[in-house]
Amino acid sequence: MHRLTARLLLYALTLLFFLQVRGQEQKRVTGNFEGYSFARLAARLEAETGYRFYYDPSDVDSMSIDMTLNKATVRQILDELFQNTDLHYSIDSAGRVFITRHVTIVTSLPPRFGGKLPPAAQADNSKLILADDQQQAEKNRLRQLLAENRIYEIGIRTARSGQGKATVAGYIKDDKSGEPIVGASVFADSTSIAVTTDQFGYYSLTLSKGRHIIRLSDAGMKDTRRQIILYSDGQLNVEMHEAVTTLKAVIVSAEKTSNTKSVQMGVNRLNIKTIRQVPVVFGEADVLKVVLTLPGVTSVGEASNGINVRGGSTDQNLILFDGATVYNPTHLFGFFSAFNPDVVKGIELYKSAIPEKYGGRISSVLDVSMPDGNTKKWTGVAGIGPLTSQLAVEGPLRKDKTTLVAGLRTTYSDWILNILPASSAYNNSTANFYDGNMRITHTIDANNTLYLMGYYSFDQFSLDNDTTYKYSNASANIKWKHLFNNRHNALFTAGIDEYQYNISDTHDSAGAFKLGFKIDQAYFRAEFTYAPDNKNQISYGLSTIHYKLYPGTYSPAGKESLVADSAVPAEQGFESALYLGDQFAVSNKLSVSGGLRYSIFNYLGPHDVYNYAPGLPRELSTIADTSVYGSGKFIKTWSAPEIRASARYSLSETGSVKLSYNTLEQYIHMISNTISVSPTDIWKLSDSHIRPQHGKQISLGYYQNFAANTIETSVEVYYKWINNYLDYKSGASLLLNPHLETDVLETKGKAYGAEFLIRKLTGKLNGWISYTWSRTFLRQDDPLAGEKINNGDWYPASFDKPNNFNFIGNYRFSHRYSISANVVYSTGRPITLPLAVFDLDGSPGLYYSQRNQYRIPDYFRTDLSVIIDGNHRIKQATHNFWTFGVYNLTGRKNPYSVYFIQESGTIKGYQLSIFGTPIPFITYTIKF
Amino acid sequence: MYRHRYHIRWLVLVLTTGLITCREPYAPPAITTPHRFLVVDGFINTGPNTVTTFNLNRTRNLGDSTVRGIPELNAQFSIIGSNGNVYPLKDAGTGAYSSGPLTLDATKEYHISITTTDGQQYSSDQVPCEATPPIDSVFWRQPFDLTIYVSTHDPTDNTHYYRYDYNETWEHDSQLFAEYAVVNGRLYEADSADQKNRCWTTDTSSNILLTSSAALTSDVIDSFAVLTIPNSDPRVDIAYSIIVRQYALTQGAYNYWQLIQKTTDNVGTLFDVQPTQLTGNIHCTSNPAEPVIGYLSACSVQQQRILTVESGLHDWTHNQPGFGCDTMSIPADTADPFIYTYANPNWAPYYFVTDAVLELVSSVCVDCTLVGGTTTRPSFMPD
Repeated sequence: MHRLTARLLLYALTLLFFLQVRGQEQKRVTGNFEGYSFARLAARLEAETGYRFYYDPSDVDSMSIDMTLNKATVRQILDELFQNTDLHYSIDSAGRVFITRHVTIVTSLPPRFGGKLPPAAQADNSKLILADDQQQAEKNRLRQLLAENRIYEIGIRTARSGQGKATVAGYIKDDKSGEPIVGASVFADSTSIAVTTDQFGYYSLTLSKGRHIIRLSDAGMKDTRRQIILYSDGQLNVEMHEAVTTLKAVIVSAEKTSNTKSVQMGVNRLNIKTIRQVPVVFGEADVLKVVLTLPGVTSVGEASNGINVRGGSTDQNLILFDGATVYNPTHLFGFFSAFNPDVVKGIELYKSAIPEKYGGRISSVLDVSMPDGNTKKWTGVAGIGPLTSQLAVEGPLRKDKTTLVAGLRTTYSDWILNILPASSAYNNSTANFYDGNMRITHTIDANNTLYLMGYYSFDQFSLDNDTTYKYSNASANIKWKHLFNNRHNALFTAGIDEYQYNISDTHDSAGAFKLGFKIDQAYFRAEFTYAPDNKNQISYGLSTIHYKLYPGTYSPAGKESLVADSAVPAEQGFESALYLGDQFAVSNKLSVSGGLRYSIFNYLGPHDVYNYAPGLPRELSTIADTSVYGSGKFIKTWSAPEIRASARYSLSETGSVKLSYNTLEQYIHMISNTISVSPTDIWKLSDSHIRPQHGKQISLGYYQNFAANTIETSVEVYYKWINNYLDYKSGASLLLNPHLETDVLETKGKAYGAEFLIRKLTGKLNGWISYTWSRTFLRQDDPLAGEKINNGDWYPASFDKPNNFNFIGNYRFSHRYSISANVVYSTGRPITLPLAVFDLDGSPGLYYSQRNQYRIPDYFRTDLSVIIDGNHRIKQATHNFWTFGVYNLTGRKNPYSVYFIQESGTIKGYQLSIFGTPIPFITYTIKF
Repeated sequence: MYRHRYHIRWLVLVLTTGLITCREPYAPPAITTPHRFLVVDGFINTGPNTVTTFNLNRTRNLGDSTVRGIPELNAQFSIIGSNGNVYPLKDAGTGAYSSGPLTLDATKEYHISITTTDGQQYSSDQVPCEATPPIDSVFWRQPFDLTIYVSTHDPTDNTHYYRYDYNETWEHDSQLFAEYAVVNGRLYEADSADQKNRCWTTDTSSNILLTSSAALTSDVIDSFAVLTIPNSDPRVDIAYSIIVRQYALTQGAYNYWQLIQKTTDNVGTLFDVQPTQLTGNIHCTSNPAEPVIGYLSACSVQQQRILTVESGLHDWTHNQPGFGCDTMSIPADTADPFIYTYANPNWAPYYFVTDAVLELVSSVCVDCTLVGGTTTRPSFMPD
């Protein structure tokens, strides 16, 4: 509130200030100022505008001006000239211009504030950019033009400046919000090597000393360039403008970053803008739902806890949210992802060439990033939807130093569930969730930046029975980005994550129980990047994670409960890794990337470890003795080298082939109990008996762009070998089992598939079509394990879904009307069905089919939405639009869960489908 | 990133009618097609001069209301030795197939062959004869509840895998003593043949009991708990006897029985066990895809009986049946008081108040057969 007052005050001040100088501001300058010194320019401006310039000539003598002006105001000219320099200017009411280094002269104090100016305003008024809407677009254009034509001197000019090489580095940011632009392409005309900005918008480019034109491009932003004279290592920060979409011809630049150029294969990058375009249920943007439309990504059900990537299980994906591991990335039985879209900047999904800095999971890495926050002004988003409400704010806490992003989201779905007809299974159901995010970015100086983040998500639901499920993710971390020099930088991260769930059943008061599960982890990572030249990008570092798992506590709920307290003992371990990698551009056509990661896992006491008789299956009856380990004692150490290699060869400007090979290790495993209404998952560390999962993948991709890079197509094929994937034994009991090794089996796996993608992100018609064919088979043929699954033959994994098709399309008839469609089809997941009841030795039992012999019905859904924009002017006071849509147009009852229960003496199967009818919705949105 | 200063999204209308459909029966053809898989329940008894009995029945579907397996009648059933000897089994008409008294050569291997009336042929793998070592002891211990244990050992260190079952018999007497029995409408003083004051009930085990010494250095089973009777259970009120039978198993048979032990038809809770896959050693030779449930073993049987009487227990809480033993008086037949024609079976003659007045009592209080069991004392139960 206090801050808001300060801001209002600032706006008021600004307005007064603006009115005062407006007269002179109107005087505009036109002409060609090529090769001008500052003194000459100042003299010319004095002559044309009547302003008087006051400055120290030594401050401006190195400035060389190279620009063409068209009706520019003095203020616009100076803004551009001094941008990214330590020079400031002030203009007083008498038309005097003061040019100063480091400090800004405050020229006027409005009397009504008693001559006292709020500190924020003092810092601000040298850079206040004030113009009405009509002027703003023209002003931006002009600023850009000025910046592009000016010559920037980088480094210190010395006698030997002309010799050798130097590195220019800096941050690329959005001019509107100050938000770093990730993955922007930066390259110099004089070389053919392009570099891209990292997750902080940072780039580093080594060039021969002298004059260069540096070109910058990024999807969704206007291409821009900077002219530099490079004397020695120095900094060049660039602000880019958002491109205003045009429905006419698409301007194409040949240098545009494209999927054919990057060495990375099997990586999908999406920014939040693209994510927001995809129509989803109730029109609420959803990160995971969009990830699921990418080739190679599937989910086991409409509402499952996570994603399956390239035939991997859900636990084989490392899901990072701004560096924090998220164990359960979903809300409300999986219908929403646990990432509030208002505080998501973008996602990166690595499917095959997983960079060596990541490890610990064998299938994929999904990196969800948070924005740094608007460095220029406070902005907010408040949304009220049918199921959720959210609020997000971002802005500078201290101008150009500290920014804050915070978001809060909650649901009132209880209300929806309560109005359901009494006949529905949901009339007794409740569901409710919320999440909160916070991130502070603090720039200490040009070489040091701190990032602090906190995240919490909570869910509670009760489905179709008396069991209440609760779970939460909580994370916090601090990151320190340090630039040693332009070529060498480091990122240090330390943080903690917690995931826990609680299940309680109070249906039967004597048997009422609470069941709890928790993972705590603390981690530290040091990641270094070193770019000795443009051809090499070396990364190295180390990381360690301390895991502590509480596999299960079981306690009474309520006074009448007769349940006895019990707990499966906690377990702990350290997962550490060292890595080194290099991305090397052999030539323009060929670049390779190689990395080695060495990971070590220590399983630590205190723990009692059962030893089983050798040569016999692990059963309770084959426990030979027990070893007792004290706290911190090393019980078992596993370690393995991991190889990451990939190569890209450009066939032409628009086509390339990529190849990658990698091996990965995983030391924490999830075993999912899929037979109940809502699956409950158990995580287990590798230990003396349970070996790490090992994955090996080879993949080959062909990328071809058409129509001047506006249509991207790709085909990727892969083959994966998986070792030690855990499946359960027949009759396994998974919850509260202190000797899980007796109930699980290590299987061998193989997965293979092909992924096809056609994508068009610009123009009237945009969207993508993806088709994935993928198979995953497991095999358990070791007779010593106690049983062979399906006679030791290969059997489909429970997430094997051969055919997956996605279409996401958007067609814009005009700026006012557009239509979006979304079609999803996938094969139903495999299931083991009970087929018959038998009676043997006096007791009945269930005869089940072969493991995963049957499949649940296929999944198919179509969504359609029409967006009508109230007004298509770019600048206007309020912006409003209508969205009409239908989720699940065909009303297909896609099963969420298939389960069996005993009812009046017989066993009945049920399929639970949620959103099983067409759901029309109308949304009215106002932005202002 | 393009952001407006404020952005308020209003959702005006969601048509929630029938928004979320709920659960529907899930009954794909895989479940609804009749599954009539053959269940072979039994073992080859290789003891001297013993009768081998198998029960053949068929599985039922999940939704079927039948509570028992469907008996498979009139099949051709035989045991075939590795020496070529064939021993046919005869259906008693209930799906129970029995041999005559046999003494099989325990050094040979055996398999079974079944041809059902629909022409399908079934055959098992050859199985060796396991010699079951004698039971060392069956005994009970009682800190509070009563637990029956069995101990055994195999001096040849060969058996390692054991299965048990048992029959338990207990005496339960009527709450009140009535000395009359009704025969053809007349009251007689009851004798041992028609008394209903003392009953004995016999039950068979319904759990699968398995144990193994495979992880031990010698083949010893020490104090394996067969069953636990909670304190105050009426079974031990008067006299209780249990006969424990011990069967030696091969490792394959043990694994199979262990899976059977884990399979259950009780589903729908959070703590359910994962689905079980049963692969036995009996196959349908005429249709290899057809599953057969059961695992053939051949072994001799060892058994031991113990008797527990109430006086041997300590701190045993006696459980009064607590029937409401109402009484009522009726006039006796004036001509012959021993003529008894009272129609309501809920009442039974108790005693004569006078010649003319007969006292009746709730039947359940004087007739123990209404609770179950038989009035004939088994020979091993105390008189």
